[in-house]
Amino acid sequence: MNRIAGMLFDRYGTFAGGIDLPDEKRATLGEPIAAARACERLVLPLAPCGGSLARPLVSAGQLVSAGQKLAEGTGDNPIDIYAPAGGRVVSVQAQALTAGKGEFVLSPGIELADLADPTPLLSAPSVTEWAKLSRSNLRAALAGGGLTTFRNPLEPLAGWVERAVRKDCDVLIANVMEGQPYVTAGHRLLAEHGEDVIRGLAIIGRAIGARRLMLAVDRRWTDDYRSLIGPAQAYKVARIALTHKYPTGADPLLVKVLTRRQMPVGAATTDVGAAVVNASACFAAYRWVACGQPATHRVVTVSGERIAKGGNFWTPLGMSCQALAGTDDRLIHGGPMVGLRCPAGAAVGATTDAVLAVAEAPASSSTPCIRCGWCTDLCPSRLNVAALNDDFELSLLDHARRSGTVACIECGICSYVCPARLPLTRRVQELKKAIARGPGATFLDGHGGRR
Amino acid sequence: MAEHDTQSPPASGHASPAEATQPRAPFLHAMEGVRTIYLVTLAAACAPLAAGVILFGWRSLLVAAISVASCVLIEKAYYRSTRTPALLGRSHAAMTGVLLALTLPAFVPWYVPIIAAVFAIVVGKAIFGGVGHFLWQPALLGRLAVAVLLPATMNPTSWPLLAQNRLMVGDITRAQQVDDYRQWRGRPAPAGADAFLLTRPSETLAALTAGETAEYRALAYPDDDSGAGGQLLMRLPPINEMLYGATPGGIGETCAIVIVIAGLYLIYRNYVKWQLPLAFILTAWAVAAVAPIQLTGPADSIRTVWWPLLAEGGDVGFTYVNYQLLSGELLLAAFFMAPEMTSRPVTSGGQVIFGIGCGIIAMLLKLYVHVPIPSYMAVLAMNTLTPAIDAIWRPRVLGQRRISYLKSRLRWR
Repeated sequence: MNRIAGMLFDRYGTFAGGIDLPDEKRATLGEPIAAARACERLVLPLAPCGGSLARPLVSAGQLVSAGQKLAEGTGDNPIDIYAPAGGRVVSVQAQALTAGKGEFVLSPGIELADLADPTPLLSAPSVTEWAKLSRSNLRAALAGGGLTTFRNPLEPLAGWVERAVRKDCDVLIANVMEGQPYVTAGHRLLAEHGEDVIRGLAIIGRAIGARRLMLAVDRRWTDDYRSLIGPAQAYKVARIALTHKYPTGADPLLVKVLTRRQMPVGAATTDVGAAVVNASACFAAYRWVACGQPATHRVVTVSGERIAKGGNFWTPLGMSCQALAGTDDRLIHGGPMVGLRCPAGAAVGATTDAVLAVAEAPASSSTPCIRCGWCTDLCPSRLNVAALNDDFELSLLDHARRSGTVACIECGICSYVCPARLPLTRRVQELKKAIARGPGATFLDGHGGRR
Repeated sequence: MAEHDTQSPPASGHASPAEATQPRAPFLHAMEGVRTIYLVTLAAACAPLAAGVILFGWRSLLVAAISVASCVLIEKAYYRSTRTPALLGRSHAAMTGVLLALTLPAFVPWYVPIIAAVFAIVVGKAIFGGVGHFLWQPALLGRLAVAVLLPATMNPTSWPLLAQNRLMVGDITRAQQVDDYRQWRGRPAPAGADAFLLTRPSETLAALTAGETAEYRALAYPDDDSGAGGQLLMRLPPINEMLYGATPGGIGETCAIVIVIAGLYLIYRNYVKWQLPLAFILTAWAVAAVAPIQLTGPADSIRTVWWPLLAEGGDVGFTYVNYQLLSGELLLAAFFMAPEMTSRPVTSGGQVIFGIGCGIIAMLLKLYVHVPIPSYMAVLAMNTLTPAIDAIWRPRVLGQRRISYLKSRLRWR
């Protein structure tokens, strides 16, 4: 059966660079999505995607039920806030700490306590015949329900759809590659609720007006996705099994492999007419549009050597990462290759696909570059990372800019392989930041250093 | 609340304290460290060394021991006296010591490896700033230094080779000239000696290509009863002996099979990119196949042959080219010396250019200049060009337009 399921997926090529990372997914790969453990409080940010704050509809001390609208979105692409679980509003001026792009950000939020017991993830009955909705009605529907893109950079789904329509995207790709070790949230969602994910993909595809729908999955796990083959054929979704190599799931590479379109340096996928979503966004879109269930939860992988019992959990947004992991000891938010160190009090946000406690190597000091060239060989952006490291050390900003530093996708491979333990990814990030400050900017701006 | 980054970029090349104390993604790390790279390369280099110990006797082991010990001690003394931190110095120094021993002949006096080690470590490595900073392969620099400083010791007219019945235990300095040496296999040691004194195959080939001796055809057909062929073969071992290394030369230079196997292991470990040795060897092969040579004709007339590969038919030409590759140190240079990480270009394309350059220079030096160590000199010459190759070879980055890529390629740095 394995082989047969595999044959029902198309194969595509690959790209230069990349690496087969140790997988480390076994601990959670077969774990069904379970309800998250009970927690005492939830803190929901009023502006999960940044921008203007939502206007609270509740006041402190009020009792709310699960799925109740807590705040009304404002601004261009409003996001409504819904209660993930029944409980009591403690405050509408709490501080929520959620992961933004590249760092955790503190923003005002609504705090809930005295929560009802956590709910498991159940398939909801479809109440709306979404297939009969017009495109504009679909788009209007996607603007509600607290729907976001569920991935970095986080933005309201409606705004993202609008941009994709404006850029005339003809391809919509559901990216369930999950190349990073430990992370299996998207895999479990696809394996257990694959039909709903496919329907969600079809909904978003119809809203965008995409002619081709693609589902990109990892070649290794295709036999777990048998249940979605029927719906995928019904909605004309091309099923594509790609190599396990990391970072096949990175947007520029995925778009390049699947459509042969190369994104210009610094552009978004929509600029080349390809929209990329992930399984969580598809699933949330289906549940809201068809079943009327707002996006208040997401699947989060809890794993790592320092976690006693890992798994995939249907986690309410706003739950503390420490409470979810059951430990507060050096947690990682997101995958281990591109994730962030989890500060105390960090809450699960829409982009949280994993909370990990991995056995990290002891921090060792780095030694000089020996020019082994592994970073350069494996760089999926084909940057000469060793030369960029020289540019960083010698502050040769102009040379770094001309070498195309901004094409770096920050996948972390160079730091991962470096035998001299140089923080190469971070150094290239620094270079990118310095380049973004504009031509003529000195590398040591604000640090009082030399040029 | 974010982990705000207030660190300033480091003044030195090494990680600033902030980089070490604030771990950031990726939180995982591959196991392999610089030390592992050097120690595994050292272990791989021990394979040709073992072949050398078997073929050239216990003196090879002595040379290797002196070489490794002096490299490590000189490294230590240098960093102790200059009070600079020796990062990863010892493993690299030990590896350099073994590589240096591979290039030296087994019969050299005890002070030769020491002099070579001084040049390798101090001039080749330490004054550039140690591991990761040098321009020339340190072991080759040491070898070049002794070749220049001690020409009589390092390049005698005839070189000793242990007899088959004196393998390993024989003393290679107890050597005698024999008149009727045709091949090594089955030939017992001359009375009162352990080794034969022979002409190096590269010398014989040099004499052949300069039109000084013998018949070209005899390379492939030594049993042709032309008389001249016999004379040539008196000094040139059969090609199978060249493969397993029963020919005079440096300790680790001769045994082609072991060098290739150890080199393939390094390629498998990703310490050597296959492009570099392949480009080196193929280019050398191609140059030997087409570079004009002078041959003695039937009536002692000297004629210039423009395509040695096809001059007398493919069979003879093929044998000639293989002799050119297997005689001397080319294979060791291709698999162990040229791929030294710090002194070769970083990108794959740059390494191909580097390998091609090495192959061309090595073969031209061998054919027309008659220096004692042509392949090593070729590697050193290309090492000099490494920064330039790194600067000009730049692949098109992801998402870069072809036009802007080509424009950027026309610019120097």
